[in-house]
Amino acid sequence: MSAPHYPAGTVRALLPTAHVSGATRTALQQRLDAPADYAPQFLAPETFALLEAVAACLFPQPDRPERPIPLAPSVDQRLLEGRADGWRYDALPPDREAYRLGLGGIQETAQALFLNDFPTLDTQQRHHVMEAVAGGTPPGAIWQTLDAARFFEEMLAELTEIYYAHPLAQEEIGYVGMADLPAWTKIGLNEKDDREVTMGE
Amino acid sequence: MPDEEVLEEGLLTPVEPVIQDPLLRELMADAPATAPTLDIPQEKGQPTTAPLEEVDCVVIGLGAGGAPLLARLAQAGLKVVALEAGPWHNPEKDFATDERAQDFLFWNDERLSAGGDPLAMGKNNSGTGVGGSTLHYTAYTPRPLPDDLHIKRDFDKGEDWPLTYDDLAPYYEEVEQFLGVSGPTPYPWGPRRPKGYALAPLPLNSAAQLMMRGAEKIGIRTAPAANAALSARYYQEGVGWREACTNRGFCQAGCSNGAKASMDVTFIPLAVKYGADIRPNSFVTEIERNAQGLVTAVVYTQNGQQHRQACRHLFLCGGSVETPRLLLMNELALSSGQVGRNLMAHPGVQVWGTFADEVRPNKGIPGGLISQDTHRPKGADFAGGYLLQSIGVMPVTFSGQVARGRKLWGQPLRDYMRSFNHIAGINILGDCLPHSSNYLELSDELDARQLPKPRLHFTAQENEHRMNAHAERIMRDIWEAAGATDIWAFNRYAHVIGTARMGLSGDDAVVDRDGRAFDVPNLYISDNSTFPSALSVNPALTIMALSLRTADKFLERERRRDA
Repeated sequence: MSAPHYPAGTVRALLPTAHVSGATRTALQQRLDAPADYAPQFLAPETFALLEAVAACLFPQPDRPERPIPLAPSVDQRLLEGRADGWRYDALPPDREAYRLGLGGIQETAQALFLNDFPTLDTQQRHHVMEAVAGGTPPGAIWQTLDAARFFEEMLAELTEIYYAHPLAQEEIGYVGMADLPAWTKIGLNEKDDREVTMGE
Repeated sequence: MPDEEVLEEGLLTPVEPVIQDPLLRELMADAPATAPTLDIPQEKGQPTTAPLEEVDCVVIGLGAGGAPLLARLAQAGLKVVALEAGPWHNPEKDFATDERAQDFLFWNDERLSAGGDPLAMGKNNSGTGVGGSTLHYTAYTPRPLPDDLHIKRDFDKGEDWPLTYDDLAPYYEEVEQFLGVSGPTPYPWGPRRPKGYALAPLPLNSAAQLMMRGAEKIGIRTAPAANAALSARYYQEGVGWREACTNRGFCQAGCSNGAKASMDVTFIPLAVKYGADIRPNSFVTEIERNAQGLVTAVVYTQNGQQHRQACRHLFLCGGSVETPRLLLMNELALSSGQVGRNLMAHPGVQVWGTFADEVRPNKGIPGGLISQDTHRPKGADFAGGYLLQSIGVMPVTFSGQVARGRKLWGQPLRDYMRSFNHIAGINILGDCLPHSSNYLELSDELDARQLPKPRLHFTAQENEHRMNAHAERIMRDIWEAAGATDIWAFNRYAHVIGTARMGLSGDDAVVDRDGRAFDVPNLYISDNSTFPSALSVNPALTIMALSLRTADKFLERERRRDA
């Protein structure tokens, strides 16, 4: 079922206007302008390709066959810079190790279930692998030392927040909160300011 | 490679290089002056600068605990220095209406979350920068009700405060008037107040209207909530004019126009006007003492340089994680055995629903509506109680919660998120009882500063479980009555509280009712670590009220000594 959404280009049309502050515009434009080809700087190329395959499974984007919203590069950048988000499950090792182990675990599970590497699996097989990991007891030796459910939750939350921080994903859900200048004046039920476009088909 | 080997932003020099290799350590011990480590510039120990002139007071941390007392001490004419770990921002220019771009507001150094209900930290619970976590608090500022302070007397559980509501009431009023709290007058719950709120309530957003609709149908009273954000322009002596709220709905990612009463636009300008010396990017590592056990100086790192500041009195206001962490690292004020213990966190279950109406939940003050009818619910099978509030939400925060809490991924996640403009939430803020299995400790894992990361153990107990179940039932009823479909609950805990509790005696408490450490007479603690119980309301207003009271009690003591 196709849900209602904003006409394409809404956020792009709003960005240069006086409704968006300089700091906001800089942040969003940077994401829109991110180059399509990204060379991993922390993860090994094959590990990065695996992360991309996992991200594509968690965020299928058949509606953007040419240029999906990139998710894996932000993770690679963060791991490279050693940035944290203020906390970590004590049950998990430090983020760099967790990602390396967890992605290795996903390979093991793919091998155990379908005798093949994760990136070579078809969509349905990949889905099965991720379901097993999300469920917390996937096959694979690595998962004996890494809490699968916690790792999955952490990775999913990170990828989700990267996805919905992208202006095109925000457009997809009908969000134009970035265009908040000078003020929102219609904030009640079934009210909207003029620059909030009506949801179309 | 563990990430602690990478230096965090803004940190250029670890305090003291720790030599991990045993052989190298031995060599270094033999010849401490020779310097293999000096070959590595970022590990070079900076020479400690000459001691600066002794000041009356040093305040560590400029959030809700540190800023009010800093202003008060400066106003009294004392020479005061404030050390804040984070930077000093220019919100109007620097703050984006974008959640990820605002990540710098959170205390992003890693804390380890352990136990059955590991606490989410970072954006959920902590802040850094001149203003501390008030830079991203929701500005929800209800007062506790008087019986919040004697839960033990009433239920034989938890702990009583060594203070009464009447001790705090004048300070609540002062803070509310100074910040310009917007709220309903008269306030429907609690004792009659001599003075109403400074400003009329903020306008109700969609979530608030929906909660009002649902609550009315099932007989729960509601009122516009008290929020420390301005419903109209407001003037404060010593601060000047602040502009009214523009309904951005981004309180939790930083207010860019000064309408929200974070400390950087209220108590800090006041402190600066009276001569307080604010030193941002200053991370304290050591607290020095003399032979009598009195604090004499603090050592801190600012922009890679190590400094020492001598002081006659120290006010520790780092919050419930950094305050006990500093005490534990410095083996200071530990004789009661309570530092790090009694860690509490507010039950904060959220219930979300989808409505036929257009909600657009990102607009308006997030916590628009309140009910305290559930403060002491009839027939409840738990001690204490909770408040109900409507909640607006920003998209990235919401999506993360959907991923973690609802466990959606793939196409179902994208499909659900497409109803963002039709989603609204309610949540509770409930009391929490201290428990022996909930505490903070120093772990063996070191951070970029070569300091031990704190580990927080938290497991919700029977009382919290019962309260959550009660609250979820009521919130589901409200949402059903309001016409919601696809209702789901997200279990969470917010605000870390209680790791350096106040009490009547040094046998079982770290500080007295004035915030003064039993073990160290010139050390004061002012933040949510001193709360003996969690209270059934958001902590910020009480932290500020206690901060002013601590300053007044300190000043009284000083005057008596001078007389």
